[in-house]
Amino acid sequence: MTVINLKIDDKDVSVSKGTNIFMAAKNNEIYIPGLCYHPKLTQYGGCRLCMVEVTERGRTRHRFSCAQPVSEGMEVKTKTPKTVKYTKSVMEYLLAHHPLDCPTCDKAGECGLQDITYDLKLSKGRFKTVRLDEPMKRDNPLLEYNTNRCILCGRCVKVCKEIEGVGAIDYQNRGFKTVIGTAFNKPLDCSFCGGCVSVCPTGSWQDRTLKFRARPWELKKTPTICTYCAVGCTVVLNSKNDNVMRITSNDDLGINEGNLCVKGKFGHEFINSSRRIKTPLIRKTGILCPTSWDEALDYVSKRFSEIINKHGGKAIGGIGSEKSTNEDNYVFQKFCRSVLGTNNIDNMANIKSPSLNRLIRNSVENGLAATSLEEIENADTIFFIGADVTEAHPVIGSMARKAIRLNKSNLIIANTRNIEFNSVARKDIRLNYNLGTQAELINALTKVIVDEELIDLDKVEGSTENLQELRSLLRAYGIRKVSQLTNVSEAAIRSTSGILARPGNCYIVCGKDIEEDPSSEDTIKALMNLCALINTSGTDKASLVFSRSNNNSQGVNDMGVVPDYLPGYLDIDDASKGNSLNVFGLALKNKIKAFYVMGENPIVSYPNGKKVKDAFQKVDFVVVQDNFLTETAQLADVVLPTATYAEKEGTFTNMGMTVQRLNKVIQKVGDSKPDWQIVCDLARKMGHSYSYTSPDEILSEVGNSVPVYEGINNNNLKKEGFRWVSSVYDKRKPAKYKFEIFESQPSAIKISRKYPFILLTRSSLNQQGTYSRNSSSLVAVAPDCFVEINRENAQKMNVKNGDMIMIESTHDKMKLKAKTTSRVPEGTVFVSEDYEGIPVNILRDREYTNVRITKA
Amino acid sequence: MSGETKSIKNTTSGNGDKSVISVCLGTGGIAAGGDKVFAKFEKEIKIKKLDTAVGKRVCKTAKTGCRGLCAKDVLVDISVPGMESLTYERVTVDMVPQIIEEHLTKNTPVKKWLAKDDYHKFHDNQQRLVLGNCGTIDPENIDEYIIRGGYTALHKVLGMVRQLVIAEIKKSGLRGRGGGGFETGWKWESCAGYKADEKFIICNGDEGDPGAFMDRSIMEGDPHVVLEGMIIGGYAIGATKGYVYVRAEYPLAVERLHIAIKQAKEYGFLGEDILGSGYSLDIIVKEGAGAFVCGESTALQYSIEGKRGMPRTRPPQSVEAGLWDKPTCLNNVETFANVPIIINRGAEWYSKIGTEKSKGTKIFALTGNVKNTGLIEVPMGITIREIVFDIGGGIPKKKKFKAVQIGGPSGGCLPESYLDKPIDFESLLEAGAMMGSGSLVVVDETTCMVDMARFFLDFCATESCGKCPPCRVGTTLMLDILIRITQGEGKEEDIDLLEQMSDEINTMSLCGLGQSAPNPVKSTLRHFRDEYLAHILDKDCPTASCVALHKYTVISDKCTKCTLCIRNCPVDAISGSKTEVAFIDKEKCIECNLCYEKCNFMAIK
Repeated sequence: MTVINLKIDDKDVSVSKGTNIFMAAKNNEIYIPGLCYHPKLTQYGGCRLCMVEVTERGRTRHRFSCAQPVSEGMEVKTKTPKTVKYTKSVMEYLLAHHPLDCPTCDKAGECGLQDITYDLKLSKGRFKTVRLDEPMKRDNPLLEYNTNRCILCGRCVKVCKEIEGVGAIDYQNRGFKTVIGTAFNKPLDCSFCGGCVSVCPTGSWQDRTLKFRARPWELKKTPTICTYCAVGCTVVLNSKNDNVMRITSNDDLGINEGNLCVKGKFGHEFINSSRRIKTPLIRKTGILCPTSWDEALDYVSKRFSEIINKHGGKAIGGIGSEKSTNEDNYVFQKFCRSVLGTNNIDNMANIKSPSLNRLIRNSVENGLAATSLEEIENADTIFFIGADVTEAHPVIGSMARKAIRLNKSNLIIANTRNIEFNSVARKDIRLNYNLGTQAELINALTKVIVDEELIDLDKVEGSTENLQELRSLLRAYGIRKVSQLTNVSEAAIRSTSGILARPGNCYIVCGKDIEEDPSSEDTIKALMNLCALINTSGTDKASLVFSRSNNNSQGVNDMGVVPDYLPGYLDIDDASKGNSLNVFGLALKNKIKAFYVMGENPIVSYPNGKKVKDAFQKVDFVVVQDNFLTETAQLADVVLPTATYAEKEGTFTNMGMTVQRLNKVIQKVGDSKPDWQIVCDLARKMGHSYSYTSPDEILSEVGNSVPVYEGINNNNLKKEGFRWVSSVYDKRKPAKYKFEIFESQPSAIKISRKYPFILLTRSSLNQQGTYSRNSSSLVAVAPDCFVEINRENAQKMNVKNGDMIMIESTHDKMKLKAKTTSRVPEGTVFVSEDYEGIPVNILRDREYTNVRITKA
Repeated sequence: MSGETKSIKNTTSGNGDKSVISVCLGTGGIAAGGDKVFAKFEKEIKIKKLDTAVGKRVCKTAKTGCRGLCAKDVLVDISVPGMESLTYERVTVDMVPQIIEEHLTKNTPVKKWLAKDDYHKFHDNQQRLVLGNCGTIDPENIDEYIIRGGYTALHKVLGMVRQLVIAEIKKSGLRGRGGGGFETGWKWESCAGYKADEKFIICNGDEGDPGAFMDRSIMEGDPHVVLEGMIIGGYAIGATKGYVYVRAEYPLAVERLHIAIKQAKEYGFLGEDILGSGYSLDIIVKEGAGAFVCGESTALQYSIEGKRGMPRTRPPQSVEAGLWDKPTCLNNVETFANVPIIINRGAEWYSKIGTEKSKGTKIFALTGNVKNTGLIEVPMGITIREIVFDIGGGIPKKKKFKAVQIGGPSGGCLPESYLDKPIDFESLLEAGAMMGSGSLVVVDETTCMVDMARFFLDFCATESCGKCPPCRVGTTLMLDILIRITQGEGKEEDIDLLEQMSDEINTMSLCGLGQSAPNPVKSTLRHFRDEYLAHILDKDCPTASCVALHKYTVISDKCTKCTLCIRNCPVDAISGSKTEVAFIDKEKCIECNLCYEKCNFMAIK
């Protein structure tokens, strides 16, 4: 990178080539006023405030610093009488019609317009004008827009288009009548990421969850990690008097550059919700009654001991949490294994896709795993397979769009559903394959690369094993045959292979559609073959990342809350290993007599609700630790109140295997305690000395005893995340890749005449389980869980958008609103599984459940 | 007279021994009923079987583009072999049978309808190079263009090395006719210097200035010359695709460009492998959506990309990263129309026309208070006096000349003292105006300069794209002040404030349109400050144009005692008679302004 030396206000400054004067100054703590420029957005140059005097090759001119790149030997003066005079004039124009409502504006105190007015010491202006007085637009529960305060810097328009890919707002009209608005002034219909609020330099866009409850200067701002999806965005919690008032973001912290999604930005109301459980509860005469910690833990300890004595430790099943911290989960598995003496512990992620941990371990050993999510920003080709990032991991979508905008990356999206992903990619290939044919599609892609020698196969031959076997395996995948089977055209398969084989970095996101499919193991092996093939061909890298659902779905597995592995994927020497039944199956077989559930609601989140409910009703004793009285907690004998992410410390590991640290924002709500502390207290009650006093101590132990977390250090975590895949790569060279050979499996899709539709479920952008369910604004913005039904099918059944329809499986039925769409293929319906209040999982008995639909 | 006969001879030679009736069918001609006249001629010729009846004489009707002198439309040229070609002016449908009867069958032209002196004066003082074909050839027929030497320049260029083409244009000294006056050859050279997989050449036909119709007339009257210029430019810079961006408000230009592109493709001048040279270029017509700002080059490019037309900051310049971030060369219609002439006649010949720094001719749209309104082409360096009084025929109704507004809303006005100044890019800037695209509005003594400034500023304020505050808010605030002044509520300090704001908006605006938006105010303040002061201090509009300042009194020496005002007053507030000057009774007057509007002699103030 070329370095340019210049002088700004007599200070010598060195910046990289291509930087504009505005950023060169900002990075060197020199202040230039400006309201429209934002480093993460394309340059605009509309506010005209950043004028500076530039002397270059003997010529002195006035330039706008955001539009002018630095050049060698340039001399910049930011404050000359002329620049001040003219900047003042522009500010005066901006303020001429600006309403004087700072006292009632939520932005006052952190307003760019106020700050520059103050800085330039502007006083009474030259103009007598009528202040703008348009009504405030409040057409949705989350955002409000006040056109009077708008200075038309265009940041919100760009954030919406460039970062979020939505483009819900744009300029309207010309001249003085120019405003920001939606098409035809319809109510705002967007993903509600709140990016507009984050970048707005004035009080035009406001976060309605703040609701005039605090002035900006009263708010304590604590950065921490978001508790929803597995991206692990840094959120800044704004609290006042131990109440979280709103969430903001910080562009310089974490991995998300200040970008958030609707849940991360607005889903905080559950923290101080009145529905939180505030004391321990014990079931007495059939009713859960408040009690003290002592009594509750004594009772749990007594009952656990009885069961151990009677049936042995293995009769207790433990379910760890995808949402709790690594420290909580580490202590939990340690407690289950050493105190209770059971290896029947598991987590929902592992129960849903049992082979995933092993495959991820393989991908790391073979050097195929991505070292982080941010790596996607360096990609030249982005391949989403079975991954709906727009709904499931919105900020990965923003990262991908950044790559597409800056590197002109190619985009390939393969999915059964016609999922939404908007970007400006020049090559944007969509492969909508038939349900259940993903493995064939991937093998066909590999076959084209091998057959047409799109890469240097000699090089591959030298650095891998089994290439010949792979060739013979691929012989079975005739392109025409696969094309017919998958309904993807031959041309599309060929051009996709062509793009994948091109030099450059390729980033593959494997989604839940692949991971939770019954044939996931083969599909992922096929994907690893493809990835390894591209990877070994050149100097550039192809890397693979696997989707995880929750904020710590990766961490709970890393911490060994699984029957197959000890923390860090160390093989376990146990007879129960390889047991084909999961904990619920064991309970139904009477092998498990008690459940200890930490922060999960399996009755709703397991894709066979009835089975789980039966299991819970069958066992003798259930302890549930949670923030809310969930469906599972309602079946418990003892409920223990836990602290949310805002009230505790610890670490989360995102799906890019980056471990990030939480900060405590507020004091615990009610009598709740962090999970680790509850587990430690219980261990002490049961006669073991669990002497941890803080999550830091637990993390030190993890750093010492868990191989993949070796070297993790709490002090370093304060600065940046710990990337455990990188650390593994630093220590070990990747193994020589051996192409995986497998038999193709018969399709798991059953056809039923009585239940002609196949029910698909996946994530929702607006909801994710217990937390979003208890955040009233999130519920208000997307109150309905829809049945998405293909337009053709809907037309035949005379179903219209918004009609109530009955969806029925052999197990149960439920009534939902219909949404006719082209997103789902014919013969399938889609219902999100993230609406905890509308548990679609009770209809299901496997991944692809057959259902029927009738007009209700 | 000489110039006219020369061009007519060419026409006649092109059509052998046929008689030709050429009807002006530019937009001005059509508006005056040209299409009806044309149809009538065709019908009459058919009825009279002139093609066959006499046996000796074959007649043909031809459509032509704009002839320039729109004030006298519909213009019809009739050339009979062996006779001098003659022009009829203000032809109506009723006149057609008589013209055919007398001129074509009896060879006795209808003298009373022939074009008068004004017409000849209008033409004789011009130097029509770029407009040479306009009004002479049928713009919808490529053959007529080719017969008159069309596409020879392209033939010549395709045999040349690119650098030589650019060198020739550079040598000619051609400067952009869109307003800025940037050297065309230099622009081409820098665009040719950037390497990319795609390059674009764009013709800016988004002519939006009020009172400007130069580009429109060229596109309507001689579309092939624009295409030829573009193809030559495209070849020189290595463009892979061309766009003509035309206002959708110019439907005839759009239609004729489409026809021209189709024909040029059929003849191999456009498309794959042009004339076997190996160079390929496709040209697409892109219609604008009615925004003045899209005449600004970067906004125009955004508009082609399908984005909102808003100018962007530079660098990068368009030649480096313009349309879709690819090197792009953008020139004005008139600029491209100059290119074939330079190639055909040589840069040396071309550079002899005009002044030292401004070469060639310039087309102006001459409008306002002048007898011969229309389109003129004059060499650079001509004086305003020559344009207004020789070509334009002076001010009608014996009124006095006051000023010309040159360059549309971004330009400025020049008063009487500048009448003998030669016009070129530099001198206009010096005088506080600018060439702009070439609209030239003549203003007589009855026009209020404050009100005129208000009109142009109103245009700029409404047409601002809204991107930057100086233009969006600044012009609106200035407009507020001007409105206040024209309503008699001005304050003395307003003049200082207007001057300050002009400077601020000029310095701080993002694009050329914003920077030049205060120009009309600035130049009227410079040359007609007294009028502002009269409005502010005396609450008086010297030209009695500002309605709010009317005092409703009769100026006795102007009153002709016609009693028109008396007859029209709805409240009988005016007394007087055929022998007595009118008098307005202030008690009764309701200030409805009707008497002012009705008076033909500006006798009411």
